[in-house]
Amino acid sequence: MALIFDVLSNLLRKRATVLYPEERRKEPGTFRGVLGFDRNLCVGCGLCWRVCPASAIEASKDERGARPFFRLEKCIYCYLCVEVCPRKAIKASTQRAPVVDDKSRLKVS
Amino acid sequence: MISKLVQVFVYPGILYMVALAFFLEWLDRKLVAKLQNRVGPHYAGPYGLLQPLADFIKLLTKESIVPSGADGLLFTLCPVMAFIVVTTAVSFVPMTSTQGLLSTEGDAVAVLALITIYLLLVYTAGASSPSRYSLVGAVRAAHMLLGFELPLMLSCLGVIASAGSFKLSEIAAQGVWRVFGLHALGFAIFLIAAEAELDRLPFDIPEAEQEIVSGWLVEYSSWRLALLRLTKDMELLLFSGLATTLFLGGPAGPAPPSAENLLYPLYFLAKTAFVVFLLSLIRASSARIRLDQFVILCWRYLVPASFAYLALTVWVV
Amino acid sequence: MGVYLPVGPQHPIHPEATLIKLKVEGEYVVDADIDASFVHRGIEKALERKTYVQGLFLAERICGICNAAHTICYSINIEGLAGIEAPKRAQWLRLIVEELARVSSHLLWLGLLAHSIGFESLFMLAFRDREVVLDLMEEITGGRVTTGYNVIGGVRRDIDTATAQKMKSSLAQLKERVLKYKRLLEEDPIVRARTVGVGYLSTSEARELLAVGPVARASAVSYDVRVDDPYLVHEEVPFNPVVYDTCDAWGRAMVRVDEILESIGMVTYALDKAPSGEIRARVPPVFKPPPGENVARVEAPRGELLHYVRSDGTEKPYRYKVRTPTLANLAAAIAMLRSQGDKVVHIADVPVIFGSIDPCICCTARVLVVDEKGSVKETFLENLPAGRRGR
Repeated sequence: MALIFDVLSNLLRKRATVLYPEERRKEPGTFRGVLGFDRNLCVGCGLCWRVCPASAIEASKDERGARPFFRLEKCIYCYLCVEVCPRKAIKASTQRAPVVDDKSRLKVS
Repeated sequence: MISKLVQVFVYPGILYMVALAFFLEWLDRKLVAKLQNRVGPHYAGPYGLLQPLADFIKLLTKESIVPSGADGLLFTLCPVMAFIVVTTAVSFVPMTSTQGLLSTEGDAVAVLALITIYLLLVYTAGASSPSRYSLVGAVRAAHMLLGFELPLMLSCLGVIASAGSFKLSEIAAQGVWRVFGLHALGFAIFLIAAEAELDRLPFDIPEAEQEIVSGWLVEYSSWRLALLRLTKDMELLLFSGLATTLFLGGPAGPAPPSAENLLYPLYFLAKTAFVVFLLSLIRASSARIRLDQFVILCWRYLVPASFAYLALTVWVV
Repeated sequence: MGVYLPVGPQHPIHPEATLIKLKVEGEYVVDADIDASFVHRGIEKALERKTYVQGLFLAERICGICNAAHTICYSINIEGLAGIEAPKRAQWLRLIVEELARVSSHLLWLGLLAHSIGFESLFMLAFRDREVVLDLMEEITGGRVTTGYNVIGGVRRDIDTATAQKMKSSLAQLKERVLKYKRLLEEDPIVRARTVGVGYLSTSEARELLAVGPVARASAVSYDVRVDDPYLVHEEVPFNPVVYDTCDAWGRAMVRVDEILESIGMVTYALDKAPSGEIRARVPPVFKPPPGENVARVEAPRGELLHYVRSDGTEKPYRYKVRTPTLANLAAAIAMLRSQGDKVVHIADVPVIFGSIDPCICCTARVLVVDEKGSVKETFLENLPAGRRGR
């Protein structure tokens, strides 16, 4: 009963709910989001797939040599690979992972 | 003949009552949400008005399960009878004019008796389910009966004494507002007893979600649960309608005689909405009280207060 | 005599799957037992398969709410084992994030206590205020819950002056709200009726059953790892350990609310006084610490958290053991749930009692090996070399 005045004053305040997806909340811009990858900078050293805790990076090859292959559905966004890459080929971003029902859309090329 | 059927089933009959019950449930949910800084029903219909109807229809499409240990006949009969009993009680309440759909000499007492029958049906519904949780909930509901029945009856009797009539239509025709002075005590007692009867916070002990997972309702599903929930909404309509008739002057209000048919339902709606606002305010600002503490609260504070109220109204009037 | 009433494993009051077996006579609980094995995930086994740097991110996910405590404990543990020294500023920043996580955890607990007594409005308001803290965490560390902030050797991101200003003003506003909740707990008649005298745990019982954290501190047992065995820079930041002597659920609620106020004070102090400098000592992603053991203790929001590591010289640990505070409090919870003499426990009290120990069952579920052959080796904290304890 002691909360009655707080509760009544809530009638005058704006709602705390954010009606997603029409509205979005204001983000501080420091979120650890989806990885980006620049193929031209990668030299195939293999540090990223050795260091990933969630085994989300696989070693693979393409016509230019060894390169990593990212599985975003396993990634835990710890950014160990971003830190360890000697050429800074793996890029950070603040974008959140998309909600998809097709795993092949969760590739980073 | 046709007009009688339309009156009974459509307006101001069962369909109108069901629509009003859904509207009051929507109002209650929206008010509690706004008081908690949330939104409440939003997507079903404009401002979420169709949400209670959507919930009702959703429940009708679910699988109907009767547990194997349940007393089959009682399990099905209790929701149906509860709905019939509460709808009959609501039909006595004058909603569209000073005359209810049903009206007879002494119908205020009939309404109170029907409320008690509903509570006995709650106990039977819980006891006929084989789950332990529902038995605990049913026993709690019966326990609570011991607490709030007396203050409820006595506060109504006080109003009846001051109005001088046992007939709800006559009380409504008087159009007297009984919220000031002495009658404020009666109004407060009636509101608290109504919260207890309706199984709402702070007295939703028989259905405590955190302790016994919906209590006496736990084994019901599909159309039986839909009917039980509709019965709860009708009860909300019943109690706020009773409060309006007894304490807020019923559907009467300033209106030229030609516009009575239009304005009286609107006055009733406005006053009922105000009572629902008060009930929602109590609900949004309280925690749940324990059963033994509830019985102590009733017998230590509410019963003496209601006896005092009755005595004073009889003496003053 | 008595009917067996199971509360769980799926029940609206449990955030995780827990089975509380109650023996009930009418509304009174006669006997109780707790089964907390439903959330066992094999974390200790998984930690033996990961390198030390990878294991940090697994340790972070032992529990979502106590994740700051787990990562700090793990980092201190491995730094002590391998002889790595984290820079001074890193220790101050770790303290800031640890205390901020404590505020967030206690606000969540306040909401859950309100939910267990049916007080939906306080639940909504407490979680609304917790959003402020979570937004601050996101701004500092990059994640709201799994922060990924501590690493072996230091922390990953720095706090600049603009962020520090913002933190101080947000926390000052939060402090006003928390003072309001404290007044509510002290004055609201229904909240007092549901928590005062409920879940009684006497001081001698708390000592015997080895309760830790706010459960012990509400029974007048003054045990706080930040005072008795300081880690990070807790010796340099002034604070008062909060002790109440009411021995009931109300006391525990007041201990936690007062701890929120203390933590806000500590964060504000640390933001001003943190020295500038490096925030991270460089550690190779795969390293081999010398063989040996180490133990680290940390005051998690729920009590004393203990990590033990034994390495055999390879890059993966030989054995890693986590003992969470909820495991220590479970015995106290069972004692609180039983009616004895004139201490009567109602069914309606069970969610309040179980919630007042702040159960985090997902942290707790471990395999317990009982050694029947009698060849148990004991190691005492004093015998570990002091330089290896990790500071």
